[in-house]
Amino acid sequence: MLGSPKTLVDALSLLPRDETRGFRFIGADTKERFYSYDAIEKEAHRRAAHFAALGLKKGDRLAIVVPEGHEFVLSFVGACVAGVIPVPIFPRASFKGLDGYVDTVAHICKGSGAQYLLTMEATKPFVEKVLERDSGITKLLYTESIFEGPTPAFTPPKVDPEDICFLQFTSGSTSRPKGVVVTHANLVANSQAFLGPAGLGMVEEDMAVSWLPLFHDMGLIGFILGPLICNVCSVLLPTSTFARGPRIWLETLHKFHGTVTYAPNFAYALATKRVRDRDLAELDLSHVRIAGCGAEPIQAQTMRDFVARLAPVGFKETMLLPSYGMAEGTLAITFHPRGTPLVTDIVDHDAMKKGEASPVPRGTPKSLELVACGVPFPGHEVLVVDEDGKALPERRVGQIVTRGPSVTQSYYNNPEATAEGWKNGWLQTGDLGYYANGALYICGRIKDLIIINGANYYPQDIEWALGEMDGVRRGNVIAFSVQAEGTEQLVIAAEANSGDVERLKKQIPERVYELTGLSTGYVAIVGVGGLPKTSSGKVQRRKTKQLYEDNLLAEHGTGRVGDGGDEG
Amino acid sequence: MKRSELITVFQRMASEIAEKDFSHVSEESVIADLGIDSLGMLELVGSMERELKIQIPDEQLVGIQSVRQLLDLVEKRTTQTT
Repeated sequence: MLGSPKTLVDALSLLPRDETRGFRFIGADTKERFYSYDAIEKEAHRRAAHFAALGLKKGDRLAIVVPEGHEFVLSFVGACVAGVIPVPIFPRASFKGLDGYVDTVAHICKGSGAQYLLTMEATKPFVEKVLERDSGITKLLYTESIFEGPTPAFTPPKVDPEDICFLQFTSGSTSRPKGVVVTHANLVANSQAFLGPAGLGMVEEDMAVSWLPLFHDMGLIGFILGPLICNVCSVLLPTSTFARGPRIWLETLHKFHGTVTYAPNFAYALATKRVRDRDLAELDLSHVRIAGCGAEPIQAQTMRDFVARLAPVGFKETMLLPSYGMAEGTLAITFHPRGTPLVTDIVDHDAMKKGEASPVPRGTPKSLELVACGVPFPGHEVLVVDEDGKALPERRVGQIVTRGPSVTQSYYNNPEATAEGWKNGWLQTGDLGYYANGALYICGRIKDLIIINGANYYPQDIEWALGEMDGVRRGNVIAFSVQAEGTEQLVIAAEANSGDVERLKKQIPERVYELTGLSTGYVAIVGVGGLPKTSSGKVQRRKTKQLYEDNLLAEHGTGRVGDGGDEG
Repeated sequence: MKRSELITVFQRMASEIAEKDFSHVSEESVIADLGIDSLGMLELVGSMERELKIQIPDEQLVGIQSVRQLLDLVEKRTTQTT
């Protein structure tokens, strides 16, 4: 392990100069580029000097929409060396409507106050449209040209632990995006926690392998920033390379003798389905120490199926490491103890609705199996609390709250969202959970976030866009997700006239796809006034979901009558 | 490769990925209507790339919604590389 860096910038200078240690980036074209830590630090300083020469000063924000992994990472750390605050934004608009993408980028830029946006020639055609929006961006910079020429004279500013390292935007589609403020102190504390002895227990021989997006916490902190702080080597694949052929994840682990990897639940399910018998003959995964799972609810069956499918190539259940975390916690909040078998809890579904996690025997009808997500890191507290913020005993369901050196303190320039998100120094995660035998279980959400394929979608964003459609009344459409066939499915419920049912059942999924890239599991069209509302006329999302699950939504053509309008 | 062959490749690959029978799918179909989300779509593109020995960069996939649009793109890449 390294001395003890206090900031990401310290870490760069403390890393060993050994030419064999660093990051290997595999390009979309399969070309490999290796950057030793030494090369990364030198390139970061060179890029920092160019940023400074462009007029970027300590504390300025820089939006980064860069599709190539190595260009993204070198620019990101370069900005940090210059004291500039990177604002990573996802670089792909594939399949989704271009307009929606440009709106999101513009909202994030505006929310961050960035004036410059760094991108690449390949992404220019869609990113440049941001200049036509109210984004605050005055100039686009291209990685291909701005770092050319001799390195300008440059004195790096002093970067302190309490300085902002970067902004992690968790929502961008609404006009009030939320950017989590991650300080250097947060980043260093979280990295040392999850990579250290109480977490993954990383050693010099470890090799981390990831295809996770680099613009988002699990990929960015888990496989880039954390490894720089704790001297870990990584092999990085583009997310789209994984999506185009999921087997490459396992092949890369094999080829580079990967010891640590991470992915959301859906990826384990996908890999299990896509591995062919003949692949098994060519794979050896016995060197894997940790296959972490996070970012979305973990299904015990998915984990067991993966183990069963890959056991012939040396994969073991004890390699799986269920985890819980979120951007507001910098990244990791709790980890299952590494190297130990999965622990699950089987509870009664009806008791759960009343807030009690009552254990029942396996196979009991209407039972749920939940996967234990472990315990908090040393120096951090995680509690399950009731509505008054009072800690609940074991097996009582409440909101998960946390505090500690890893936990961030605010959303950038957004006092309203900050006041909701943090109370008396505790981060309000919005997730529901309980403790049993000392381990944390996650069992739902207070906030109505939709999580599909490891990505978060805010129902408000989808509802707002669908409210614009012909025949749908603004404020009378609801988006939520339900569990079906082991995965999360998106359901849309909207009020409309019976004459529009057929058209909307076809057009709503098209609009949803354009907006999010998601396929819609079901569209329920109910009569005007058919969705449950509060006394102030606001549609109730959770009540609607409950009615849908109980088969009580008054859909056109079902003859059911809605009970809307009376809910206080 | 003829257009009629391309649609057959599409039908076969889509059926494999979504584990549904897509032999009826026509060029007019909207991909979202087939229950294939953007992740499934990328996998489908990857399968077609490997089958047809072509490469389609992410940027060119922006805004692709119908089977026809996708096949137009695939056809363009096939003629470019052969």
